[in-house]
Amino acid sequence: MTLRYAYFPGCSAKGTCRELDVSTAAVARRFGLTLTPLENPGCTGAREFRAISEELHLTANGRILALAEEMGRDLVAVCDTCLLNLVEANARLKRDAAARAMVNRALAPDGLAFRGSVAVKHFLWVLTDDLGGEGLRAKVTRPLAGLRVAPFYGCHIQRPPSVQAGVLGRGADTRPALDRLIEIVGATAVPYAGASKCCGFHVVSTEEKIALTMSGSHLANAADSGAQCVVTPCPLCHTVFDAYQPDIERNRGRSLGLPILHVSQLVGLAIGLAPEELALDRHVVDCAPLRRHMAGAAAG
Amino acid sequence: MSPSSTPTTEAPGVAPGGSIRVRIRRFDPSVDAAPRFESYEVPRTRLMRVLDVLDHVHEALGVDLGYRWLCTSKKCGTCAVNVNGSPVLACWEEAQDGMTIEPIGNMPVVRDLVTSRDGYEATLAAVAPQLQRREEYPGFPEPLAADDFAPSVHLRDCIQCLACQSVCPVIAQKDAGFAGPAVLVALAELALDPRDGAARGATAGSVAKVFSCVSCYECERVCPAEIPIVSEAIEPLKRLATAQGHVAGARRAAAFLAVVKERGFADGARVAFQLNGLTLRALRLGLRLFRRGKADILGAWRARRAPGADSVRRTYEHGEGSP
Repeated sequence: MTLRYAYFPGCSAKGTCRELDVSTAAVARRFGLTLTPLENPGCTGAREFRAISEELHLTANGRILALAEEMGRDLVAVCDTCLLNLVEANARLKRDAAARAMVNRALAPDGLAFRGSVAVKHFLWVLTDDLGGEGLRAKVTRPLAGLRVAPFYGCHIQRPPSVQAGVLGRGADTRPALDRLIEIVGATAVPYAGASKCCGFHVVSTEEKIALTMSGSHLANAADSGAQCVVTPCPLCHTVFDAYQPDIERNRGRSLGLPILHVSQLVGLAIGLAPEELALDRHVVDCAPLRRHMAGAAAG
Repeated sequence: MSPSSTPTTEAPGVAPGGSIRVRIRRFDPSVDAAPRFESYEVPRTRLMRVLDVLDHVHEALGVDLGYRWLCTSKKCGTCAVNVNGSPVLACWEEAQDGMTIEPIGNMPVVRDLVTSRDGYEATLAAVAPQLQRREEYPGFPEPLAADDFAPSVHLRDCIQCLACQSVCPVIAQKDAGFAGPAVLVALAELALDPRDGAARGATAGSVAKVFSCVSCYECERVCPAEIPIVSEAIEPLKRLATAQGHVAGARRAAAFLAVVKERGFADGARVAFQLNGLTLRALRLGLRLFRRGKADILGAWRARRAPGADSVRRTYEHGEGSP
């Protein structure tokens, strides 16, 4: 059975985190997953559309959901904030007939309609729930033995609390999905304070200090707990941790040098994809220490 | 209050008989150099709450424990404590064997489990949390319709227990000047009140610093009254402040929308440039990203558009309410 999804990469995966789009596609190919990108989806609005108008937030997300409905497939996002916007709008438009009518009037000129027929998933859950532990393990050819990985969920994948309560541990296995994934690829999950907290991305362009204090504390905790790298399901968290890591190091007066991996890159390495296929060279923080660890593990 | 939070079945850990052990953080800043943890053994009782445990430690064991409570029924908001690291109402939370009880975070400890509400009250006073009428009170009975209060109805469940303030990562940064979720809930309640005529959007933007909210929803996660704090208090205040448009966060939202409408996608470099102009800082970050193939700096100036940008813009204009 082929698993087929409508795919919404979001602006980060098409912009500053293109390596996320590249590695997601490579991993999906290896597992035989079909991710079909939506055409002209627009944007979920980050946290900005809702700061302008609730109707705009619902319309923009309704458009993306309607495009997935037209395709007749569940919608997959690779960004925690895109996921949250889509999950919230999907729930609201399903239960609120007036909001649904408003959105459908806006979508009618493009021949689209929201009907509420698809679910919204993160690519992480496609891997851990739809493929499942056995499906994943079957393709692990290069276990990341001995690699100490700090899981960082970001906050929006767990929200809103009323909808996603308990989302960190889904299904029969109640351990958080990232912890399970890290074990499946043969690495070791490092416990540390901050794994389910916020990175501060949504204020980094206007209040950099607030964001970098928060994310700096998480990275310092991860490093102090012995992590060799961090893995995150969110490109916005990735941007604060990776692109701003030199600033974080300067602010805190210590060097961190922690490579930040996307979920797809961690899995990709374990299923034998080459670092180039995962665009590991497109990070600000050098991933060479990871490659050396893997080379050492292979040789030893 | 949600019926789901009413204890209907007894968890195996608190069945009557035997006893439970709890750790409580003790600290009197007027005499102690540092906080310490003390362990107590407490007999189990039926449907035992955290508050029952504290009462037993205080009354039966004779410990001079500092803790605060008043109504014992989820109304007064004075008894919030951290249980195993997360804030709960002592009067409403089931006791667990092996639990650690500490004061809630982000505010000074007065003694043991009692924290100071002074900072919160001063911040609340600064946003003028009283109804300011546009017109004179029309007399009794004042004609008020339930529909007029629908947007703020959940906010009125707030009991000011400060669980939300205690987990807010922005309040934790004292110099940020952020008022915090509990203050924003109070402010939104007035802003959404049809009788109120004060410029609450301006206060939210410049005094309460609503745009410093990182939107992490930690406040909602811990709220014992289950108030949708982000979507029903913080976002509406941001909208009011955006309509006035004079703080950086409001400009950020406007710049973001303008770029998505123009290009059909959120071009991060373009948004940053529109917002902050060409600063040395922005250039340094831009170059750092450019070197790793992560940013198309020139693209921020070049007029590039997604193929379906017109259709995206049309959809959004419907959503905004313009033709």
